[in-house]
This record gives sequence, C-alpha cells and structure tokens, in this order.
Amino acid sequence: MLVLRESYFIYVRNLKTWLAQPWMIVAAVLSSAFMFLFFGEPLRGITALPGFPADDYQAFLAAMVIVMAVVFSGSDMAMVLLTDMMSGYVDKLLLSPVNRFSILLGTLLIGGTRAMAQVLAIILVATAIGVRFEGGILGILAVIVGATLLGVAMGCVGLIVAMRTRSVQVTVNSWLLFMPLAFLTSAFMPRDLLTGWFQVAVGLNPIEYIMVAVRAVIIDGWVWDSILPGIWILLATTAVLIGAATYEYRRATN
Amino acid sequence: MINGPAVLVEGLGKTYPGGVRAVDGISFAVERGEFFGFLGPNGAGKTTTIKILATLLPKTEGRVEVAGLDVIREPKAVRQAIGVALQEVGLDDLSKGRDFLELQGVLYGLSRAEARTRATELLELVGLSSVADRKVGSYSGGMRRRIDLAGALMHNPGVLFLDEPTTGLDPQSRITVWEHLEELNARGVTIFLTTQHMDEADRLCRRLAMIDHGRLVAEGSPAELKAGVGGDIVHVAFDAGESPDEGVAAALAAVRTLPGVRQADIDDNGLIATVGDGGAAAPAIMAAFQDAGLSIANLSITRPSLDDVFLQHTGRQIRDSDADGDAEDRMWSQWMGVNRR
Repeated sequence: MLVLRESYFIYVRNLKTWLAQPWMIVAAVLSSAFMFLFFGEPLRGITALPGFPADDYQAFLAAMVIVMAVVFSGSDMAMVLLTDMMSGYVDKLLLSPVNRFSILLGTLLIGGTRAMAQVLAIILVATAIGVRFEGGILGILAVIVGATLLGVAMGCVGLIVAMRTRSVQVTVNSWLLFMPLAFLTSAFMPRDLLTGWFQVAVGLNPIEYIMVAVRAVIIDGWVWDSILPGIWILLATTAVLIGAATYEYRRATN
Repeated sequence: MINGPAVLVEGLGKTYPGGVRAVDGISFAVERGEFFGFLGPNGAGKTTTIKILATLLPKTEGRVEVAGLDVIREPKAVRQAIGVALQEVGLDDLSKGRDFLELQGVLYGLSRAEARTRATELLELVGLSSVADRKVGSYSGGMRRRIDLAGALMHNPGVLFLDEPTTGLDPQSRITVWEHLEELNARGVTIFLTTQHMDEADRLCRRLAMIDHGRLVAEGSPAELKAGVGGDIVHVAFDAGESPDEGVAAALAAVRTLPGVRQADIDDNGLIATVGDGGAAAPAIMAAFQDAGLSIANLSITRPSLDDVFLQHTGRQIRDSDADGDAEDRMWSQWMGVNRR
C-alpha cells in the first residue's frame, strides 16, 4: 500500500512535469497528423494493388501511426529519465526513504499515460480524416489499453538506455534503437505483399504482431486470429521488459 | 531518540570502480547538536564522504553510523532521520516551489495536510513565501539553495547534511544562508557541512576536520587549529628577476634556517612563512631576499587563518577560485559520456 501511495505522488509529479511542457504534447500530436498527411496522401494508390486488405489507405496506416508513436515514446522516456538524472532529481528521490520500486513505478506509469494520451489524440485525428474503426467503441478502448501497456514496455527500454549509458549523446539518439522495431513491420504494406529478407525480418519483430492486431481491430473488427497473437506478445513483452527494467534499476541504485 | 554521536565514522574508505581512491581510511565523530565542518579543496573527498553518510553511495570499507543507525544495514531509517542538500543534487525546475516542498514532505511520510502546513512554515522561514508559486527553474542561485534547504527540513530531521551550501552564491546570499543555518543549529539540529571556504568554516563550525586527498589532516575547533599553527604568518611578494629558480631556492633555504621560522614555502603568490613573532623575524627575512638578489614587492604579517592551518598540514593552500570550474567541467563531461565514472 505504501508503495502505491509513494508511486502515486511520484507519478503526479511526473505528470505535472509533462504537462508543464505543452510543446512536447503539441509536437507529439502534430507528428502523428503529419504521418497521415505525408505517408497517407502520396501512398493512397497502394490500395489498388491486388491482395491489398483495405480500401482506405489512411485506415490501413492508422495502426502504423499508433504503434510507431508509442514505440518512439520509449526514446522520449529515456530522455525524461536522463533529464532527472542529470539535474540530480533522481538522487533527491533516492535520498528519501521511499521504496526504490515506487520511483520506478511512478516513472513507468507516466510512460503509459503519455502513450495513452498520444494514442487518444491520434484516434481523434484519424476519425477527423474519415478513418472508421470497425471494432467500434470497444475496439478503440482496446487499442488505447494496448497502447498504454506498450508505452510502459517501451518506457522500460528507454529507462534501461538512460541508466546504462548515462549519456546525453546516446540517449538523445536512442530513437535509432526504436527505428527497426517500428519500421521492420507491415507499416506501409501487408506482410504478404512484402518480399525477401525484409519479409523474414518483419516476421521476427514482436512489434509486427501488435501492429497487426491493432490494424485488425481498425479495418476488420474483432478477427481473433489476427488479434490474439498480438495480445500474447504484448503481454509477454511488457512482462519481460518490466522485469529487465526492475533488474537494471536495482543495479543502478544500489 | 539518537544514542551516542550523530555521526560515527571509523576507517571509512571508498575506491571507485576504475581504482580512484576518493576516501582513504578516515575516522571522526560528530556529537549531537554540533555544527561540524568538513573542509578541503575540490576533489579532496568531501562530496564522496557526505554521499556515503547520506546512503547515496556504498562505501568500500569501514563503519558508518548516522543517528545511531548503520547506513548499510538500515538505510531507510537513516534516510528518515536525516535531511540532505547536496551540491549537485537536484531541484525540480519545472515544479513550483511549494509543490516541490510538499512532495518532499509526503515522500518522507507526512500527510498531505501536514506537508502543506510545513511547506508554508518553511517558505516563511527561508524567505521564499512570495515566490512559492513560481517554478523553481526561475529562482536565483541563492533562492535555489534556500528552497533546497527547506526541502531537507520538511520532515524535521535531527541531522542535516549540507554539501557546499554556499558555493557559487553572492556575498549577501551567503550570509542569508549562514543565518538560517545558525538558527537551525541553535534549535538543536546537528549540522554536518562541507565547504572549501575558510571564512565559512571559521564563522559557522564549532569543530571541523580538514580533508586532503581522502585523508584527514587536522581536526579541532577553528580556534584550536589556528593556535596550533603557533605564531604569525609572514607573506612576502617578490620580483623574481633574471634567474628566478636559483634565487628563489636560495632565499627559501636561507629563510628556513632563520631562528623563529617554523615553516616556509613558496607558492604562486610568493613566500609564506610561519614564525614565532612576525615583527622580530621580518628584517631577517628581508635580508635573506636581498642576499639572494630578489627585490621585495610587499611584505605582510598576519595572524594565522584556517588557510594557514591547511597549508601547515599539507604544504598547499585551498584554492577557492578554480574549484567551481572543475566541478562544472566534471559534470559536463560526465553527462556527455566522455568521462563516465
């Protein structure tokens, strides 16, 4: 219970810090809108390819915009933590008698919150440009919950990067680490239509299965064969990464 | 309640990964209610020691008890018992002053209502009530030190650890911080402070330890330490002339043999000699310089300062001037990933 109380206070502080930087939020929303604009518009004609699963390319793209935004939020979380490490605020928290795990939890929860808020904004943008969610309101809720979990998982990766390297130049560039996770996927084209080594690599990327599940909810509705693998992989990835981040955090703070 | 001394350190050593020996077997004790100073140049091991005492850094060897508790076995209880404001440790720039304090309070176990009341009291105490709702990032250097101090006091700790609380402050802000510290100590709070400023140690500390290269070189009250120098300090500024090294060496050798001269050294500012009676020794010292072919630009006789105490024990002076720059460089390179510890 004490851990929950402490995590709550640390979470609220992190939330206020985030909200105190409105440009971070504006930029996050704008970058997603740009994705629809700069990828969706020029690639619109792809839907005419034989075997392409959607009529509306923006609807196909929406899964990519959502998943990519959340994946790259891991890099933001690395910078958030590194900023607190550099200013000495993490040490300030470590000097207090709070449980170490409360600090970690308060930080991971903000990763989830940021992902949740961003995905909510993306869904609004997508709806505004005419994307229909076949999975309905429940589908939208499911996507938001999934994105929150993925935000926590990617936040874990970001935390590990910041704690391991303690370096601005590495952390600022940590989006490079997330790039293959985000792009070695069926982001622009269904996996069936991909070829060669790229298709193989996409099949090995856990994020791909999450993206496929999100896309299924958007363009097909509740097609469990596409959705379930994504759910299992999301849960497993999140669990493993929380474990790894906890281990790394213990190592760094003892 | 605390039993025994507020701080007990026996044979403390710290070697960083990579082999740097920052603290090399030091022992000391701080009694309850004492105002204790840890004085030394940058890199002497002050910050490492205070971080170990405050449970932020593990020690390599030795025994450390704070508030009667072992820092390794009961770190949480130690953290609850102490207040800490470290030089490089961290304010939350995007948070409002009041929010920063209230969060500190609840993290140390106060209820929200208690934290709110206490924050208001402390903002008043450190004179920041008028800026309580401004972001900490907008505060001046002096205000930052004061809000940090207030944060360390939120849970009414019996022991306060302060790492260079006035480094980088303007004279007026330093005096304000000093007054707060004196008031706290008068109320019974034990204060452990590190500093590289002689005047600060002299004014505030009832007892102090001098540290250099990770070892304690002297310990006592400022008055005792200065009396230990045993005499006056003669400073001679001279013009080195054509053949500096030989002339200077000859003058130094000659001064060292003079009756009444206990110690003599050359540094960038000239010669510094400790003598029994400054007035009696001055003519002979001047003569020694003339014999060596050096012309004297200035000669002064002063009562010993803590600087002279440090000089006597280490053969060097504590340099205030370049210390801040070093600390900044170190931090910068560390975070740019150039020089990781």
